[in-house]
Amino acid sequence: MNRKKIIIDPITRIEGHLRIEVEVDEDNVVKEAWASGQLFRGIETILKGRDPRDAGLIAQRICGVCTNVHYRASISAVENAYKITPVDNAEIIRNLTTLSLFVQDHVVHYYHLHSLDFVDVTGAIEADISKAVEVAKTFSDSPFKCSASHLKGIQEKLKKFISAGRLGLFANGYWGHEAYKLSPEENLIHMNHYFEALEIQRELSKAIAIFAGKTPHPQNLIVGGVTSVADMLNPDRLNQFMFIMKETRGFIKRAYLPDIHMVTKAYLDDMKQGTGRGLGNFFASGGYQFGKQQMLFESGVIFDHQFNELEPFNLDHITEHVNRSWYEGDEVNPYKSKTEPFYTDLNDDGSLKTEGKYSWVKSPRYKGKAMEVGPLARMMVGYLKDSPIIKPVMQQWMDQYKLELIDFSTTMGRTVTRAIEAEICNEYIFDFISDLIENIKYYNEETWTKYQFEDLPKTSRGSGIYEVPRGVLSHFVDIKEAKIANYQVIAPTTWNASPRDDKQRGPYEESMIGLKLNDPNNPLEVLRVVHSFDPCLACAVHVMDIKGKTIAEYKVNSMCAI
Amino acid sequence: MRILIVGGGIASVYTANKIKELRPQSEVVIVSDESYMPYDRIHLCRLVDKSTPLSDITLELNPEVIVELNCKINAIDKESKRVISEHAIFKYDKLIIATGSKPKTLFNIKHLKNVSTFRSADDSYKIADEIKDKNVVIVGVGPIGLELLDTLIGMKEPKSITLISQNDRLYDDYTIDHNIVALMKQAFSEDSRVQILFDDAIIDKEILDNQVLKVITKHSTIEDPFIVFGVGIMPNIDFSKETLETDKGVLVNDFMRSSDPNIYAVGEAAQLISSGFVAGHVKSCINQADVAIATIFEQPTEPFKRDISIDALKVSSFMLNDVSSPFYNPKDKANETILISSEEENRIDQYIINQDRLVRFIGINTNIDLLHLSQMMQKQEVVDPSYFYQNRLVGERGPLVCCCEGSYELDLIDMIKENAVTSFSELKPFTKAGRVCGRCKMMISDLISQTPIDPMEAKRLKEERQKKAKEAEYAKIQARIQKYNTLHPHNEISTGNLESALEIFDKNREFNKWVSMLTADLKLHPDYEPLVKEGVEHLNKVPIIWLELADCSGNSEGFIKNVNPSVEDLILDYISLDYHELLMAASGDNSENALNSVIENDQYILMVEGAIPLGLEGKFLRIGSKGETGVDLLKRVAKGAMAVFAIGSCALDGGVVAAAPNPTGAVGVSEALGRDDIINLPGCPVNPINIVGSLLHFLMFDELPKLDAKNRPEWAYSYRIHDNCERRGHYDMDEFVEEWGDEGAKKGWCLFHMGCKGPYADLNCPLVKFNEGTSWPVQAGHGCIACGEGKIAFDKYANHRRIEEEENES
Repeated sequence: MNRKKIIIDPITRIEGHLRIEVEVDEDNVVKEAWASGQLFRGIETILKGRDPRDAGLIAQRICGVCTNVHYRASISAVENAYKITPVDNAEIIRNLTTLSLFVQDHVVHYYHLHSLDFVDVTGAIEADISKAVEVAKTFSDSPFKCSASHLKGIQEKLKKFISAGRLGLFANGYWGHEAYKLSPEENLIHMNHYFEALEIQRELSKAIAIFAGKTPHPQNLIVGGVTSVADMLNPDRLNQFMFIMKETRGFIKRAYLPDIHMVTKAYLDDMKQGTGRGLGNFFASGGYQFGKQQMLFESGVIFDHQFNELEPFNLDHITEHVNRSWYEGDEVNPYKSKTEPFYTDLNDDGSLKTEGKYSWVKSPRYKGKAMEVGPLARMMVGYLKDSPIIKPVMQQWMDQYKLELIDFSTTMGRTVTRAIEAEICNEYIFDFISDLIENIKYYNEETWTKYQFEDLPKTSRGSGIYEVPRGVLSHFVDIKEAKIANYQVIAPTTWNASPRDDKQRGPYEESMIGLKLNDPNNPLEVLRVVHSFDPCLACAVHVMDIKGKTIAEYKVNSMCAI
Repeated sequence: MRILIVGGGIASVYTANKIKELRPQSEVVIVSDESYMPYDRIHLCRLVDKSTPLSDITLELNPEVIVELNCKINAIDKESKRVISEHAIFKYDKLIIATGSKPKTLFNIKHLKNVSTFRSADDSYKIADEIKDKNVVIVGVGPIGLELLDTLIGMKEPKSITLISQNDRLYDDYTIDHNIVALMKQAFSEDSRVQILFDDAIIDKEILDNQVLKVITKHSTIEDPFIVFGVGIMPNIDFSKETLETDKGVLVNDFMRSSDPNIYAVGEAAQLISSGFVAGHVKSCINQADVAIATIFEQPTEPFKRDISIDALKVSSFMLNDVSSPFYNPKDKANETILISSEEENRIDQYIINQDRLVRFIGINTNIDLLHLSQMMQKQEVVDPSYFYQNRLVGERGPLVCCCEGSYELDLIDMIKENAVTSFSELKPFTKAGRVCGRCKMMISDLISQTPIDPMEAKRLKEERQKKAKEAEYAKIQARIQKYNTLHPHNEISTGNLESALEIFDKNREFNKWVSMLTADLKLHPDYEPLVKEGVEHLNKVPIIWLELADCSGNSEGFIKNVNPSVEDLILDYISLDYHELLMAASGDNSENALNSVIENDQYILMVEGAIPLGLEGKFLRIGSKGETGVDLLKRVAKGAMAVFAIGSCALDGGVVAAAPNPTGAVGVSEALGRDDIINLPGCPVNPINIVGSLLHFLMFDELPKLDAKNRPEWAYSYRIHDNCERRGHYDMDEFVEEWGDEGAKKGWCLFHMGCKGPYADLNCPLVKFNEGTSWPVQAGHGCIACGEGKIAFDKYANHRRIEEEENES
C-alpha cells in the first residue's frame, strides 16, 4: 500500500513545541500517527537540591498558561510531605484562583486556540447581517453583543482588514477548506465572540490577580497558606471578584454555550461517527470541596469505554515509561524515577525516528494503560457517579441531540464537555465565595498554618494531585536532608500527548487514526483533533535524575508539552 | 531612634537633613561647639569683607533637627552610649562624628591679638576687625589662603599683604606648573601692596603684651603685622581618641563605621582604614554621609568609594579649575604633563596623564568642558597625549559653574533670563545648582545680579525655546513617518488603499484614551499625543515576528492581557503580528511559509520569548518540519530584523531555564546571537505595557528608547521597586510583617522581613501594576522576587528569606 508521510511542525495555537507526523493512504485516511514534544528544559533538575519551600516559585514556571496550577500543586506536594494542612481560608482562596483559571483557560482555548478549526474568517465577510441577527437568536434568548449594528461594525472591520491585505495572525490559514461547515452568518457570530472573548479573558485575569497579585505567574502562595490576607479582608476586592464572575457568567451563557451548540449542530454527524475517538481509557482524581462536604468533581477510572465498570482511582497504579521517549531507564514509580535524557536525534531529513525514541514527553500509564484526562474524563466520571452538579447538564445535552455517552469520546465531545465545565466552574465559584464570606463573618481571618521549618522532618515525600483545566496534574517531591532530592511532574498533557509503547498508541495518536483528510497539504482535520485536547507542551515534558552524569550526555528528566 | 551628630558644618547638616528626609520619626540632634547655627565655611571670605551677613551663609536645616550650640564635647562614653561636654551629657542610639578639621598653626596663638587662623566665623570677624593699617601676613598658599588674599586685595584696610610660600608654588604643592604659578603671581601683584615670598618661612617673632610686634622670615622682616595661618588642617577628633581607634582621624571601615558599632564618622574627621583616605571635598563628605546613613538604617548600599573631585577658585583676576581623579598620585614618576597655553587669552591648561589615562587637570582661565574631562576620568578612557592637542574639548556653554549639578554659565544665564530670576532663592524651582555643596552659591548669586532681566523678554525666550524643541521633535517624527511610508510591507499598502487601511482605525474615544495612556506611560508630555497617535497608526505597516523558544508562553499570555491598547485593537489595527505560534491560524508548512515570506520580503521587528538551549548542539529545542534547532532559527530570523526585542527574563539571560545547574545550557538572546544591540525587556513575565511602550517608541522616534547598562529601556527599568513601593512608608516607620497573616500583613505593612527583594530589583511594577492595574505581588502580600533580574532571581531571590539570612546560613 502506498503511504504518504505528513509532518506538521509547528503545531500552532497550542502552548509549546509539538510535532505531529501522520501517514495517510491513497484515500488520504490516516493510518498511523506520532506525537512528539520538541522542547526539553529540565525544570525538575533545576529544582533538585533546593529548599522545598522555594519549589513553588520555580515549578510554576513550568508553564505560563497553566501557571497557577503548577504553583499550587508544587506547594501542596511540599505541604503533603510535611503534613501541613493549609487553613480553610487559604484553601478557598486557592480554589477561587484555580477555578477562575478553569474558566479563563477554557474561554481562551475555545475561541483563540480552537475555534479557527471550525470558523472560516473570510467566510464572515459574506454574512447577511439581518440573517445573522436571527441566527444568533436561535441559539440564545439574548445573544451576547449580536445586535445588527454591532455585527455590522465587526464585519466592516474584518472587511477592511482583509481588503488592506495584511492578514497578520490570520495569514495562510486554511480559509475556504471543505471541512469548514459553518454558514457565513455563523462564522461572523463566532468571529464577533473571538474578539469579545479577548476582553472576557482579561476580566478573568483580573479576577485571578485580585487574590494572586498577577497572572501569568502569580505570587500569593506559601507553604502553609496564602499571602493575600489584606485582599481577602477587603470587601471591595471580594465584590470586584464577584462582579467579574457575574459578567463572565453572562458571556458563557450568552456566547460560549450558544456557539458550542452551533458547532455541535454543524458537526453532529462527526460526533456520532466517532471522529477523533481515542483509546477509551479515562481517569479523574476529583476534588474542589465546598459547602458541607460537596465536591465539584468526582474521581474514577474508565477502561476501554466500559461505562458500567467504573474503578476507584488509586495513585499507586501510576508508572512511567520511556522506551519511546528520549530518556534512559525502566518503568518506574514517579517518586523514584531515575530516567535520564538520552537524545537519539531526528532522521537526516528532519523527520522523527518513528521506530525508536521520538519525543521528550514520557509515557505515564495507569495499570499499564495510556489514559486520557481532561474535561471529557471529568464529565464522564461525574455523569457515571451521578454527580448532582455534572449529570443534569450532561443529560440535557444528551437529550437535546440524542447522544450516547460514547459519542462524547470524540473531537466534538471534548470541546462540548470543556464548555460545560466552564459553565459549572463559573456557576459554583459563587458557593466557594460564600464559604469564604461565612468564615470572615465569624472572625476566621486565618490564612496561614504556623510551623517552624527547623522542626519539620528532614526526610519525607509528598504529592500534590489536582484536577486542572487540561486534566489531572501530579507533582511528586522527595525530600532528603531538608532539600529536594527528587522532583517529578506528570502533567495532563504528559498523559494525553504521551508516545506509544509496545501495546498501544498514545491518546493523541490513537485519536487521529482513521481520520479522512480532504487535502493532505492543508491538514485542518488533524489540527482539529489535536486542539480538542487543549495541548500544553511546556507542562508535558519532564525529566529525571542526572545522577552524576554530565549534561553533555543529555540526561534530563522533565519536559513540558502544551 | 535618637541620632546625635557632633559638628557644625556641611557634613553635619547634610547628614541631619538626610536622616529626617528618610526617617522623619528619628530624633536628630546636632551638637556644635560654635555659637552660631551651622554655616557654610566655603564662603568665609564674605564675612571678612563684610559683603554678606552670616545669616546668608547659614545652612538650611530641617526645623525638626535639634541644635545644641556652645557645647564642646570632651569625651565619649560608649558603654552607656552618651557623650559628655563641660556642662551637659547627651544620650544617643547612634553617634555620628562630623567635627571636620581644625587648623594648624606654627606656634601657640591662643592669647595673641593679631594672629588668627581662618576656619570659622569668629576667625573671619577677628580678621575683619583687626587688619586695619596692618601689614597682613598670610602663611600658606592653599586655595583658602589665595582666596583670602584676593578678598584682602579688594579691601582698603590692609596696609600691605605678604603671602608666604615655603616652596616655589602656589595653590598646590607638587603638581601645579610654574607657568600657572607665574600667571597667578602676576595677577595678584597688580596690587602694589602685595608681595609674594617664595621659599620662605617665619623663623622668628617678637611678642609684647599678647601682641606680635614683628615677624622675621628667611628673607624679610615685617613690622606691625597681622598674621593669618593657612598652613593646613587636621581632623578635629581629640575627644574621641580615648574611646575609639584613631590615627589622623577616627578610623572607619568602608561603611564609615568606627571601632564601636554605634559610632560613625563622616567628612574630614574620618579616616578610612582601607586606604588611609581623609575627605577634603564636600562631595566626598556627602557621599560618606549617604553610606553611613544607609548602613545605620540597614539599607543596601555600596561601600564608600572616592570620587572625582572638581574644584574651582574664582578670584577677581582669574579663574582656576581643578579636576582630580582618585587615582591621581602626585608622587608617581609615571605622571606625564601636557601644557597648552594661550598668551592671548591668558589661559593655561595643564593635563596630567598616567599610563595613557587622564588623572588630573588644572586650568587657569580655561575654556575646556570640565564635565567631559571628569567623564573621561570616570570611564578611564585610554587617551594618547596627542589627543589633547588635536581635540580641544571646549565647553560651548561657557565655564562650568556648579560642578555638582553640571550647570554651565550660559545655561544658567538662559535660565535666569527666561524665568526672570532676581535672587538666588527664586532660582530654586529651576535647578539645584548652588545648593548641593554650596561652593558656587555666591558665583551664581553674582551671575543673577549681573544678568539683566525683562519679564516680557523672558516670556518670549521661553516660548521660543519650547517651540524650537517641539519643532525638532516633530521634524524627527515626520522623517520617521516618511520613512515608513516608503517601506514596502508585502500587503502592498499604497497611497490608494492606505486610506482604506487607515479607516479601520477606530478613531473613537477608546483609541484616544489609550493614546493618552501610552503617552503618559512613556513619560512624554501630553503635547506629544498627536505624535503617538501617528506612530500608532504606522505600527500596522510593520510586520512583527514573535518567536517562542525554550519558554512557557507566559509572556505571550501576558501580552494578550494588555489594555490601552487591547490585544484585539493591536492585532486588528495597529501591528501586523505575522508570526506568533500561540495565536496564528496557520500550522506546519503554512506557518513556516508565512515566516519565510516575511523574512524575505519585509522589514520586520523580531520579538523573542524564551531561553535558547545551547547544550546538545541546540537540539533540546527543534522547530519546523526540518527539525531546525531553536538557536539556528533565531539566528536566521534575527539576521534581517530591524530590531530584536528579548521578551521576558528567559530571553535576557536564560532566566529560570538557566538556573543552576542549567541542564540544557540555556542562554539569553544577546548571548546566543553574540550581539549587544538587543533590547531587553525582562520580567517573568514582562508587563505587556513595557512591550507595547518600547515598541511604539522605536517606531515613533526611529531609534531605541534610551537604554540602561543592561540594554533595558530606562523609561520602564530605571525605578527601584523599593523606592516606589506603596508599602515604603511602613518600611520607613519600621513597620514590618513578621509572620504570614499577622496583624501587619492584614494592614499591608512592609514585607522586607518576609524576604521581599524590592530593594534589589529595577522595574516599574509598583507604578503600572498588572492586569489592568489590579494588583502586583507586593499588594498581594507576597513581596517581590526580583523576577526581572534574570536567572539570578531564581538562584538567589525567589524565596521568603532575607539575603543576609541566606548568606549567614551558607
